Amino acid sequence: MKAKDNFSLSLQWILGGILLVIALLVPLFAQTYWLHVLIIAYFYALLASSWSLLAGYAGQFSFGHMAFMAIGAYTTGLLGRYFGIGPFLGIIFGTLMAGLMGLAIGALVLRFKASYLALFTIAFSEILRMILNGESDITRGDQGLSIVPLLGEEIISRVPYYYIMLAVLLVCMVLMYWLANSRVGLFLRAIREDEEAAAARGVNVVRYKVLTFVVTSMIAGLAGGFFAHYITLITPNIMIIPQMGLVIAMAIVGGVESLFAAAMGGIIIQVSLEVLREFGAWRLVIFGALLIITLRFARDGLIAPIMQKVMGTAPKAELRTQTDAQKVAKEDVLDES
Amino acid sequence: MDYLLALAATGVIMGIIYALMAMGLTLIFSILNVINFAHGEFYMLGGYFSYFLLTLFTGLNPFVAVFLSGLLVSVIGLIFEFFFLRPMHLGRIERPPEYAVLITFGLSFFLQNLALAVFGPYPHRPTSFFSGAVDLGVVRVSTDRLTASVLSLILLGLLLLLINKTWIGKALQAVSQNKDAAAVVGINPLRMNTIAFSLGVGLAAIAGALLAPSFSIMPDVGAVPSIRSYVIIVLGGMGSIPGSILGGVLIGLVESLGAGYFPDPSRGLTYKTSFGLIIFALVLLFRPRGFFGRKER
Repeated sequence: MKAKDNFSLSLQWILGGILLVIALLVPLFAQTYWLHVLIIAYFYALLASSWSLLAGYAGQFSFGHMAFMAIGAYTTGLLGRYFGIGPFLGIIFGTLMAGLMGLAIGALVLRFKASYLALFTIAFSEILRMILNGESDITRGDQGLSIVPLLGEEIISRVPYYYIMLAVLLVCMVLMYWLANSRVGLFLRAIREDEEAAAARGVNVVRYKVLTFVVTSMIAGLAGGFFAHYITLITPNIMIIPQMGLVIAMAIVGGVESLFAAAMGGIIIQVSLEVLREFGAWRLVIFGALLIITLRFARDGLIAPIMQKVMGTAPKAELRTQTDAQKVAKEDVLDES
Repeated sequence: MDYLLALAATGVIMGIIYALMAMGLTLIFSILNVINFAHGEFYMLGGYFSYFLLTLFTGLNPFVAVFLSGLLVSVIGLIFEFFFLRPMHLGRIERPPEYAVLITFGLSFFLQNLALAVFGPYPHRPTSFFSGAVDLGVVRVSTDRLTASVLSLILLGLLLLLINKTWIGKALQAVSQNKDAAAVVGINPLRMNTIAFSLGVGLAAIAGALLAPSFSIMPDVGAVPSIRSYVIIVLGGMGSIPGSILGGVLIGLVESLGAGYFPDPSRGLTYKTSFGLIIFALVLLFRPRGFFGRKER
């Protein structure tokens, strides 16, 4: 048994290493167009995996992830436009701003049942979009806010951008992986399985939920900052609800309980969107149907089980139905009292 | 003073329509314990269906079109409930509360993109109920909007009768209070789930069809009304039927007065919906269970 564990662990590292080497070598043989596709795919992978840290580990559903991304993007864009602040400092400010908004919303809403977060963030997201649209004197609204390229106007090659986005993705993934496997991650899973039981065992439930919300919001803001300085023109349409739906589809189809699977979901879906270009608007219909079907019939996602098969790690979800049954029973008791 | 009255009248007129939509959401929440994140998309479908009914069958009475589209959307709701929500109540789904949020949001994503693919991004506007405007003394309202409001009021009244006077209504109330006890006295909670869901989304569709002649229909048209409904049910108290009516009228008033007295009225119109978010935050801060909500965390 022990030997098998070691084997699967080393297999995990070997496969991860192979993927990393492939990712690092891509610019040697890929065309500029596909580099661009991959840069965008990494951006979505970062959003999907950070959303899955919040949803899959802590069980909190935010529909405002794209709003935090937009806060990151618009903060650096507006600071650059009106105060001449450079991209790197702007991205840091954008990340902090997203964290601050996350803290305010989290402190307000996370004291309540999980559905309140979903309700509040979907409202927040749409209203922020309307404000960004409405204040077009400042934000340029639908015409789009032009933003300086991260590396200046002279560098037109996509290669440096590719490595930057890959590095941002990897650093954030490592950070989130560390968080998910730390003591905090343990608390989060306890909260997800049974909030009251976790509280009874001394976990400060609200604090850890807010902490995770702030961290994931900051990662979304960071992703937005880099995205804005890569794409160089942003409109409030980057944060429409269907965009949020797309990120959720990526995370769920990948596997919301695994950061890596969610990120792979992001990359695979974004690349498929490009490959299936001829299907036009029907692509999103397909992914919408895929999202619903995955939710109903494969809660662990489509990519995570494959990963588990390859790695030979045992699925960790065996006991869950039992705890759920207990939870339901307990809720019934609470309802009656 | 006249200005205030005019704004108030407009607010109440719109508020009644908002209440109808929020009522659908409340009905679903109180019976199924599910917040329907696709509520706005059912509103959107209602608008599209009435538009296409009226263009396909020229000479069809617009009121008939409204109710037919409500019926069609109810059927869609019934099918969705049967295949995707019922398994949850049969214990076949892990972590039902999470599933409920995601599956309805997934449906919203799917329907919105489906509408975009099928109907295109361009606005459609069905024919008016009646053209022109009516002078109410304090304010002139477009006849379409007044008609929509009066019809909503009648529907709300009928709905209250249904819930308080009929067997089905009482059964629904029983299930919302205690599922197991309801089952003991011979009410099938699963059937009540289906009834509540298809009735609830039908109401959203009727609201959409009623407002379609006033505001055009587009694939993303449901976003604002659904967010407004979320604010209304939180304000009125989750699952409270009188709460959603009172909340609807209040939100109508706040939007109308807020937009009217905003320093820059054209901006006020843009920000109309954002007053709702402030109210949402205030409710969470000071009275998390809203007006009539059951006490819970």
